[in-house]
Amino acid sequence: MSAASVDAPLDPPPRPKSSLLAPSDRTRRRRAAERRFRACGVAAISVGVLFLAVLAAAIIRSGAPAFTRTVVDVTITLSREQFERAEGQLLKTAAYEAVLIGALQEMLEEREERAPFDAASLRRILGKTGGSLREFFRANEDRIGRPVEFTLPASSRVDGYMNGRVSRDSLTDSRFLKAADLDLVDALAGAGIIHSEFNWPFITGADSGVDNPGGAGIGAAVVGSFFMMLVVLALSLPIGVAASIYLEEFAPRNWFTDLIEVNISNLAAVPSIVFGILGLAVFIQFFHLPQSAPLVGGLVLTLMTLPTIIISTRASLKAVPPSIRDAALALGASKTQAVFHHVLPLAMPGILTGTIIGLAQALGETAPLLLIGMVGFVARGYPDGFVAGFTDPNSAMPAQIYTWASRADPGFYEKAWGGIIVLLIFLLSMNIVAIVLRRVFERRW
Amino acid sequence: MPEPDVEAGEVKISARDVQVFYGDNHAIKDVTVDIPDKAVTAFIGPSGCGKSTFLRCLNRMNDTIDSARVEGDILIDGENIYDRGIDPVQLRAKVGMVFQKPNPFPKSVYENVAYGPRIHGLAANKAELDEIVEKSLRGGAIWDEVKDRLDAPGTGLSGGQQQRLCIARAIATEPEVLLMDEPCSALDPIATAQVEDLIERLRGNYSVVIVTHSMQQAARVSQRTAFFHLGDLVEYGATDDIFVNPGDERTEKYISGRIG
Repeated sequence: MSAASVDAPLDPPPRPKSSLLAPSDRTRRRRAAERRFRACGVAAISVGVLFLAVLAAAIIRSGAPAFTRTVVDVTITLSREQFERAEGQLLKTAAYEAVLIGALQEMLEEREERAPFDAASLRRILGKTGGSLREFFRANEDRIGRPVEFTLPASSRVDGYMNGRVSRDSLTDSRFLKAADLDLVDALAGAGIIHSEFNWPFITGADSGVDNPGGAGIGAAVVGSFFMMLVVLALSLPIGVAASIYLEEFAPRNWFTDLIEVNISNLAAVPSIVFGILGLAVFIQFFHLPQSAPLVGGLVLTLMTLPTIIISTRASLKAVPPSIRDAALALGASKTQAVFHHVLPLAMPGILTGTIIGLAQALGETAPLLLIGMVGFVARGYPDGFVAGFTDPNSAMPAQIYTWASRADPGFYEKAWGGIIVLLIFLLSMNIVAIVLRRVFERRW
Repeated sequence: MPEPDVEAGEVKISARDVQVFYGDNHAIKDVTVDIPDKAVTAFIGPSGCGKSTFLRCLNRMNDTIDSARVEGDILIDGENIYDRGIDPVQLRAKVGMVFQKPNPFPKSVYENVAYGPRIHGLAANKAELDEIVEKSLRGGAIWDEVKDRLDAPGTGLSGGQQQRLCIARAIATEPEVLLMDEPCSALDPIATAQVEDLIERLRGNYSVVIVTHSMQQAARVSQRTAFFHLGDLVEYGATDDIFVNPGDERTEKYISGRIG
């Protein structure tokens, strides 16, 4: 450039006048690109919402029948001799069932029931009832000899018929249920003797045998999952947060901490079944902790959850502005004081989010439980107390669902879906707790 | 290298042959300077000349930067602050600092000021703490504006108020030296004037060191001025001398706006 051109401004070349009202080509293209991008976003969200809706609808449709059960109202008078004779037999519950069927038969005869019935058909309609009858009379011997009203579960086929899972057309005569029995079921339902009610035993009960889907409940597995989550929370949160604070705020940056960092990231991607076999080898075979216990399950899931918590905690510690650390240090706070008084409270919402994601993953994990004996185990009862909750054999919700889904009787299929609903409700309540806690800790800066 | 001039009063901080390295980068070269007590000393110079780096050496805030290395001696009241036996925590209680960007804690105004006295155990009870907080907020010339909302979050104040809150927070621990790293660069002229008034008042009790990009500010508030350029301390002396009769060509060019 010559000196002259610096001093004297150049004559600007004539430019065509443009109107702001007429969009230029560039503007048009830019707008079109923007519209396309927005359309993509809306489409992506719509697909996501659609999938979610389909999933929710499928779960609710398949799982809802698990929350109702079909019951038979019947009044039984058990005489003292019947009681003693039943207790004297080898198959005690069968003897009680025979008494029940006798009582039902008598009642139907009195009502002059027109649909054909006999002891065998009544036995097919009723579910497994002898156990609960025996339990009741053994606990309440004073009620022997007096009429007692019972509400007893119908068989899973009858339950399926009432829920629409089994129809006359789809039913093939078997030793479980014959098409002719359905006339009797219809008649009893019309008379109000067979009816549906909310299935409390499903929510509060324990798992049943493979031949009794009607009696299966998820309550014991919920308790198992709960105790596992307690172990996971009590171990992984303090260990994870302490490790993150040390790595992020105190540890020197060298090859060793780099190595630890890489390994933590890798650990987060290790398949969960690997943790399961590690738990089997270390906790059960080496430390001889009890098999199938929520304590061991919790320990294994802690190993799985730790990387998630460490990674998210470190991210949220990093996100705290350095000016806050500087401010505290410049006031003469020690490094520890700066971290615990200022950095950690600000990172708390992020830490909680990470923890809840980790816990939610752990809650839904089945594979590691396979190897420590919590899958396929029939959770027959509740633990006796708080300590027993950790050490007594139990199952967990996803393990219980897996067990049910792999059983032959279609009644269990329904239970599996119902179990999924309970699992999701458990998860949602955990998330709500996390959201509330996050609100409490959230501060602006 | 000009001879350190100690006429202005008692020497509070004396630096001898200070070198600072960030990794391989030699950020401060051979700086020797005596900073007087009960006076305002301004550090001026173009961006990247090392004035903030040198300021951060005075309360060892450079310790928080892994790659930073400091050589030479810095003596406060005759004690070398880089001595092995010195605890930076104690040092920083004695040498307060105010940063370029106001950085109040995301807590109430009261908690912001009370934090320092609390961790240093300066108050035996709530009443004493209240007194310290009030005194500091008055010292920070912000008491009248916040006395009715001590429980309001400090981050909700305006920029100028936040910076004065930070000054109040810094003086609450009763330091002897107050370092200010471009305290007015994020403030408007009115807030700047308020902070400058405040610095003028603080001069009576503290040794104030201020880094600034504004030559006018340096001329207004300081008694001593040091001019840094590319890591060297080019010139140091009474503010009036530096601005009226700069001894070095680079100082003169910078002050007249021809380099920087």
